[in-house]
Amino acid sequence: MTWRAAIAAAICLLAPAPILAQTSEFMLRGFADVGSTTFAAEESFQAVLGSARGAVVGGGVEAVLPLRVFVSLRASRFRRTGERVFLLGRERFGLGIPTTVTVTPVELTGGYRFPGAGRLVPYAGGGVGWHGYRETSRFADGPENVHERFVGYQLLGGADIRITRWIGTAVEAQWTTVPDALGADPNSVARELAESDLGGATVRVKLVIGR
Amino acid sequence: MKASTHGAWGAACAAAAIWLAWGATHHAQPDPWAPRLVSETAPPAIDRGLREHDPPRPPRTDLAGEPFLRGSVIVRFRPGTSADAQRAILAQVDGAPERAPSYADFDIVAIDADADPEAAAARLDAQPDVAYAQARYRVYPRFVPNDPLYARQWNYPALDMERAWDINQGATAAITVAVLDSGVAFRPGIMRYQTRAFRLAPNGPIFPSLGTVEVPFAAAPDLIAPDRFVAPRDFIWETTTPFDLDGHGTHVAGTVGQLTNNSVGVAGMAFNVRIMPVKVIATMWDLIFRSPQQGTDDVVARGIRYAADNGAQVLNLSIGRLGPPAPVLREAVVYAVSRGAFVAVAAGNDFETGNRVERIAEFAPQIDGMVAVGAVGRDRQRAFYSNTGPYVELAAPGGNSRIGGASGAILQQTLDFDLVETFLRTPAQYRAPRFDAFTFDVLQGTSMAAPHVAGFAALLLQQGITAPAAIEAAMKRYATDLGPPGRDDQYGHGLINPRASLRGLGLAK
Repeated sequence: MTWRAAIAAAICLLAPAPILAQTSEFMLRGFADVGSTTFAAEESFQAVLGSARGAVVGGGVEAVLPLRVFVSLRASRFRRTGERVFLLGRERFGLGIPTTVTVTPVELTGGYRFPGAGRLVPYAGGGVGWHGYRETSRFADGPENVHERFVGYQLLGGADIRITRWIGTAVEAQWTTVPDALGADPNSVARELAESDLGGATVRVKLVIGR
Repeated sequence: MKASTHGAWGAACAAAAIWLAWGATHHAQPDPWAPRLVSETAPPAIDRGLREHDPPRPPRTDLAGEPFLRGSVIVRFRPGTSADAQRAILAQVDGAPERAPSYADFDIVAIDADADPEAAAARLDAQPDVAYAQARYRVYPRFVPNDPLYARQWNYPALDMERAWDINQGATAAITVAVLDSGVAFRPGIMRYQTRAFRLAPNGPIFPSLGTVEVPFAAAPDLIAPDRFVAPRDFIWETTTPFDLDGHGTHVAGTVGQLTNNSVGVAGMAFNVRIMPVKVIATMWDLIFRSPQQGTDDVVARGIRYAADNGAQVLNLSIGRLGPPAPVLREAVVYAVSRGAFVAVAAGNDFETGNRVERIAEFAPQIDGMVAVGAVGRDRQRAFYSNTGPYVELAAPGGNSRIGGASGAILQQTLDFDLVETFLRTPAQYRAPRFDAFTFDVLQGTSMAAPHVAGFAALLLQQGITAPAAIEAAMKRYATDLGPPGRDDQYGHGLINPRASLRGLGLAK
């Protein structure tokens, strides 16, 4: 039974998709993605984490509604460990105290899927996000760690490429702003470098499961 | 128990009296009474316990009498000045080059013993080919011996050191801190000295010469460890055995790096560092034993350059002097900082006696990488003696016996003053000292505050802040503001906060 079910599922997934149907009826699909974010607070991330860029993995669900409108809910996670620092002007002194930054956005995005050519469907959208920010470091007392959530906004654009009836892929670019999230604490690199936006620019590749 | 209530002051007066009665040294001369190390070993150090009931002593400031040496001045010629031109300039003050000291970019110039060294220096200083000229001012330790193990060391909890040590446990042997002071009890030995007679006061009784004496030394038990001391140097005796004949330097070295967590005695700030003992201060017994040098500006300047040239990353100067500015010292500190060394200096103990400008601390604000340190008591208020002024940059525990008595001062291991300051007894009871007996004793002064900052600098260096200017900036940034909001003349930027500085900055907090 099990192997028969698996074969049946595979046949369904690999069957060619009727492209037009995607824009005229309600479709619900799930996706997983992996991408790279370059944070707007470039110098701050560079100072503490050694790079302003990092891998982000995520996933979510997307509803494609009639009239080429879509709504998606996505959660993702960035996590990297660096070290606490002291800055004197542009000079950076690493202090060897491990600090781990975790950013977990949950984003609600609405948008429009443009009429495409063949298996390619371009889309664009925007929305609101709730960005969890967690920073923990060794030797920190409880209140010295950070665990907060901020509201941000995102604009994105990309293109769906339908591979089979049930599987597609997408390439997507997103710009996010999370104003006034960093630098509130005087003991922060972000304050020192006058960077407060937790947003950034992300390029990602998505694997879409569903019609 | 310590019998004298005025030991430090008495020592100061006695040193002045020697100078007054015998004319002291007009300038350095070959010493026919040079001491001899007669044994590399000595009996074990004697632990004479805790002294917690000694009465407080008054702050020590400069000695009475002339604060500088007669018969010579310090001159630095500008590069390229020919020997003929130098001779012509010196002729204006009947001066002649005396010698070119080691670890110096300046000369000692002999002038007439009756001439006013300050006037001669001023005349030379006005010459275009002279970078600077100055009299040879004596420099003194900035401490106050006082009264009454870790539970008694309020100074470390006051700085939140226990949490700071969680982050950095006393640095490592990769860091060398130079203690430029009266020497350090750093090794055993028996020295043979020739003594001189002296008076403690111009009309006081004569203390007779003790003839030839053999004096035992031992390393301070709570300071000594394998490879603990590096490149020791004595600029008072021009040797490599900077024995402490006073106790001040040993106490200061203890605050910098007393062995900690060893089930013995007390704790130190950076207890794993190496210590470079550099003796630049002549104390009473040095004078009685006929030391060829006193602790003058030029001697201290050479010590600073020596420390920087021999790998010290932190220099502690729990010393100071009043009088006119000291360019020779300023340049030496600039040189040390340019070699990557951080310098901590005592801000001075002169507040209640005129709050005169402390001349070594004075130029600290102009040098990024040098910090002048004022003192606070256990109430975190400025200590009664601690100088105020625009040059005070930070505050650290120096002790204040007026708040909590002897327990309000700073406890460390040092020489047993009862066996050192025998010159404070009557001439009949006066006898040779010994420097192999130790007690845990309290002192107070900005001398005690500065080594907290020197030890703190060692921790920051080990943690990764390697530039002297950045060390200073980190100390100031995280200092706990005391007194009026912002920087002020009493506390500078505030009380040092080692834990916060060691933690540094996170991305968001």
